Amino acid sequence: MYLKVDSLEKRYGAFDPSVSNLSFSLAQGELLGLLGPSGCGKTTTLRMISGMVAATSGRILVGGHDVTGLPTYRRNMGVMFQSYALFPHMTVAENVAFGLEMRKHSKHEIAKRVESALAMVRLNGVGDRKPRQLSGGQQQRVALARALVFEPDILLLDEPLSNLDAKLRDDMRNEIREIQQRLRMTTIFVTHDQTEAMAICDRIVVMNKGRLEQIGTPHEIYETPATPMVADFVGRINRLKGTWRSDGAIDINGSMTIRASRPGARGAPVLVMVRPHRIGLVASGSAIPSAEHENVLAGTIRQVTYIGDTLQYSVEAAGARILVEKATTSAGDPFQSGAEVLLHWSEQDTLTFAADGER
Amino acid sequence: MIRGSMMLQGLIRTFQLLAIAAILAFLLAPVLLVFPISFSADAYVSWPPSGWSTKWYVALLENDEMLEAFRNSFLLALYVTVLTLLIATPAAVALARSTFVGRDTLISIFTAPLLLPSIVLGLAILIIFVGQGLVGTWPGMILGHLVITLPYALRVLLTGLGTLPMFVEDAAGTLGAHPLTVFRRITLPLMTPALVATGALSFIVSFDEVVISLFIAGTQLKLLPVSLYHYVESRTDPLVAAVSAIMVLGTLLIVLIMERAMGLRRTVAK
Ligand SMILES: Nc1ncnc2c1ncn2[C@@H]1O[C@H](COP(=O)(O)OP(=O)(O)OP(=O)(O)O)[C@@H](O)[C@H]1O
Ligand SMILES: [Mg+2]
Repeated sequence: MYLKVDSLEKRYGAFDPSVSNLSFSLAQGELLGLLGPSGCGKTTTLRMISGMVAATSGRILVGGHDVTGLPTYRRNMGVMFQSYALFPHMTVAENVAFGLEMRKHSKHEIAKRVESALAMVRLNGVGDRKPRQLSGGQQQRVALARALVFEPDILLLDEPLSNLDAKLRDDMRNEIREIQQRLRMTTIFVTHDQTEAMAICDRIVVMNKGRLEQIGTPHEIYETPATPMVADFVGRINRLKGTWRSDGAIDINGSMTIRASRPGARGAPVLVMVRPHRIGLVASGSAIPSAEHENVLAGTIRQVTYIGDTLQYSVEAAGARILVEKATTSAGDPFQSGAEVLLHWSEQDTLTFAADGER
Repeated sequence: MIRGSMMLQGLIRTFQLLAIAAILAFLLAPVLLVFPISFSADAYVSWPPSGWSTKWYVALLENDEMLEAFRNSFLLALYVTVLTLLIATPAAVALARSTFVGRDTLISIFTAPLLLPSIVLGLAILIIFVGQGLVGTWPGMILGHLVITLPYALRVLLTGLGTLPMFVEDAAGTLGAHPLTVFRRITLPLMTPALVATGALSFIVSFDEVVISLFIAGTQLKLLPVSLYHYVESRTDPLVAAVSAIMVLGTLLIVLIMERAMGLRRTVAK
């Protein structure tokens, strides 16, 4: 493992720790996503890794060497700041050139690399402007170019795409991935947008309240979330509260029975979660395909919401509201509000969590 | 109805403008009056002057004591300004960057002399300086003025440092800049407006300081405010008006420089 973070903790004054007992590691050339809600300690983690704030305890290892006490300027890590932190008194080109200048590259070399870095972030021709003469999204891309241009060993990106429009965001995302793979830069990519993290990261760390909630591939995080918080954070989800019955099924409100692939201890309270788009919807009375390992529920559609590429149905079933999502087709909606329907989903798609700890 | 309220608003605006004009006139009248009086042909200060001449400016140029005092005060203000900047800049950076317990208390103590009446300060300095043989000497004078200018400088510089954009110094560090390079390439350029303001303020404060100078300048070292003070004790001719007019213009010049520097800050900062 190239970059190793070992039981890192940060306390600011007497507050609760901003980051605590955080451990993970990255292989050389790996792109790791750091995902979590606002205030969960993502920026603080990056600041500790890059040496801008001292960790209260724990260690940071790069290539087997302990760098915990090394000053920032000797760590050779490219950092892109959430607030950009561009130098207001320098032009865009001077901003991008700064890291190269510190590394004593020749004038010619610097000019060449600044130019190609600016082209990469689609900012050719603004090199002579001051940062304040650029839009927020343009400034963000300058910050990205400045962090990338000197090809650091480790790249730390703090919400690098938050200020861009959807189209440019996808382009830049793929661009970052492409450069990162070409130069085999070990990269941490902070975001609170789960699709962004899923799209390009080799693995994802989900953080919550300063702690590591789960680490895994995008597939693992999405399909087998370790905690309800992770399940909730990486996509829309239905929540139902129930109890394990002695036959391994789950009883919800005494009016609904659900089966999951992994049964739990009898009598224990359980939190059931199902993703809206994993639920099938058929008209009441029709046959369910492959009904053997399916949960089937009768319900009534109460609300239909059209959001372009998906249709969201709010279905009342067994005293609860269940959200179901279907891809839209040109044929129009098959179901109207008030329609009687059957909901069905497989046992594998039924996520269960012990319902004791309030998360 | 709408017409009525608009008329009322217009009336209120007129009153506001009149009030502002009255306040400005009250504040500026003594300063502005100095200019016509300095061109008076009379032998004493009177209003309105009975005739006009430039004879008091000529008299000023022929008054060796005033010229010497002017030169001394100018040099003193220059030394004090340079020393103030050299001492206060590192101190302010250190205070702004560190986060130790009691930092705010320390800043309060350092800037406390701003709140003391200068007569108290002057007396305290005099008591100490008499024992050290510093009264009436250049080092004594410079030290005495530093006591006043340093707290001002620290305040202005700390405020200036507080308004630096966030994380730019950190960013330079991540790009491989040694802390000294960060200071030279990032911090210093960004705090230039605050430095200019500090310099201008120190200069004006030192040049205008009467009380402390009165206490420790002694009789050998002639300073402009002290000489003026003594001059008006015995005479009331418009020579002082001529000196004042020059001082007002000089101060105005420095304020303009400051204003430009502050304007500069607006263009430099985000
Ligand atoms: N300098 C500081 N002093 C005190 N508390 C701080 C400081 N910096 C951060 N914190 C606290 O640490 C916690 C984590 O902050 P951090 O900036 O790491 O969050 P984040 O995950 O980056 O959030 P966001 O997504 O909003 O950027 C927050 O509760 C914040 O209030
Ligand atoms: Mg953050």
